Amino acid sequence: MSLLNNLEHPTDARIWRGDLPVYHRYTAGVAGEKFLRALKDQGAVYGTRCPTCGYVYVPARLYCERDATHLDDSTWAPVGPAGALVSFSAVWVDLDGKRLDAPQWVGLVRLKGASSVLMHYLQTPTGALHAGMTVQAVLKPANERVGSITDIAYFKPL
Amino acid sequence: MNRTVDIVGVGWSGFGSITPDLSYKEMIFQAATRAYADAGIDPRNDAQGFVTAAEDYHEGTSIFDEYTPDQLGAVLRPMHTITGDGLHALAAAYMNIASGLMNVVVVEAHSKASNILTLDHITAFAEDPTFERPLAINPVALAGLEMQRGLDAGRYTVEQCAQVVVKNKNNALANPAAAYAAAIGKKPVLEAQPLATPLTRLMAASHADGAIVFVLADSDTAKRFKGKPVRVRGIGWANDTPALDSREWLDAKYARKAAEMAYRVAQIRHPRGEIDFAEVDDTFAYKELQHLEALQLTEPGQAGALTEQGATERAGALPVNPSGGGLGVGSLLDANGLARALEVVLQLRGEAGARQLHKANTGLAFAWRGLPTTSGAAVVLSN
Ligand SMILES: [Zn+2]
Repeated sequence: MSLLNNLEHPTDARIWRGDLPVYHRYTAGVAGEKFLRALKDQGAVYGTRCPTCGYVYVPARLYCERDATHLDDSTWAPVGPAGALVSFSAVWVDLDGKRLDAPQWVGLVRLKGASSVLMHYLQTPTGALHAGMTVQAVLKPANERVGSITDIAYFKPL
Repeated sequence: MNRTVDIVGVGWSGFGSITPDLSYKEMIFQAATRAYADAGIDPRNDAQGFVTAAEDYHEGTSIFDEYTPDQLGAVLRPMHTITGDGLHALAAAYMNIASGLMNVVVVEAHSKASNILTLDHITAFAEDPTFERPLAINPVALAGLEMQRGLDAGRYTVEQCAQVVVKNKNNALANPAAAYAAAIGKKPVLEAQPLATPLTRLMAASHADGAIVFVLADSDTAKRFKGKPVRVRGIGWANDTPALDSREWLDAKYARKAAEMAYRVAQIRHPRGEIDFAEVDDTFAYKELQHLEALQLTEPGQAGALTEQGATERAGALPVNPSGGGLGVGSLLDANGLARALEVVLQLRGEAGARQLHKANTGLAFAWRGLPTTSGAAVVLSN
């Protein structure tokens, strides 16, 4: 059944190329907007604490995924800027799958006061990293912050 | 459940790292033709419904479900596509039959991964656009982070993860359909280029092309067909949260929940005593160990040690991925779950050739939908 029966040479196989420019806008949402504005304007990281189960979401959310509780303004509280390193990895490939000359370090950080973890860049470590060690958020200067999660430049081990 | 459901036919095309000759439709047609011959059915007269699994971005075609009827013989028939793993499609087909709505249903999933030029971008595009995607990190980072977490928690060692690769690639040597079989030892796995530490290139399944088709029928109708029926005893599925910040980074809760449901439907009380062998997602080597524990097939923290002792080899007490798994067969994207279930069916029918297990009466197939998901599905099959 295979069409290879009909092909004299593999390069005879035809391919078509196609691409699609995909552009979207994403609404940060009521909680996302407030979280990102606080990051930009105050240099502060906020979470929301669920009054029903006590879980603290960072980034802050409008609702609890565990019990569907609405997380109103009274549930907002700053967290960090220090936290515990939960995991870490040196990533050796970029999004095109190309090998990097030097790895991009990433970590999961449980900010002080948070129940959840935040995935973010880690400063290239000079010594060994280990789970549980204290790391601290390093923010971009105020005039460079745009209201993005990347307003946190990276986390550095303390 | 009032009606029991059997798998009465299987067919596949592949698997290979490339398929320059066949279009995805022709691959599916080839697999479907084999499955219909295996079951002894005429799809136009005998099949009442069709369910497929596919993801638009993997296909490079919008509203891809519109493109699935013709190559299956499903034009002008009830059919739908699920954006999930092939085992989710199997679950939908199971429900169609168990409920009495239909008697014979066809299930299909495939991979034409070799045609996808920007797969890592597509996977990254599945992350949260506000808080995760702006970091622009290759999503394999999530596997590195999760594996490191398991190491720190003492769930397994890097050497034990490497042994999973050794086992599965060697198992694949006995599987003519496997794309990535290798007689390999631990050293090259450990010393392969790092992808996202501690994960090396050889601890991640490479992608393959292929298509898989199953024919399901209620047990009464199945008697009329020539295929050896394999009973779908139980099926289940579950998701953890999509959020990276609040998901479980240590235990595969999605796997635990999916298996609990499948065991409940199958009336299995003691999985370790009642499951003879398993085909389990091993997209990343540590995932096999993590999944085995979540599926209650080993004690917590014991899957790595059991692997080192050879218990999960073909001749062991609990053979795991005798087909070669994703590491040996190749990762088939949305068809991974059907690839795992296909091996269970072949083993239960005694048609696994050189890799036939001595004891194969009840087997489990478990699928994870891959990065960045926490989506799992499990099926228990018996002969
Ligand atoms: Zn809550």
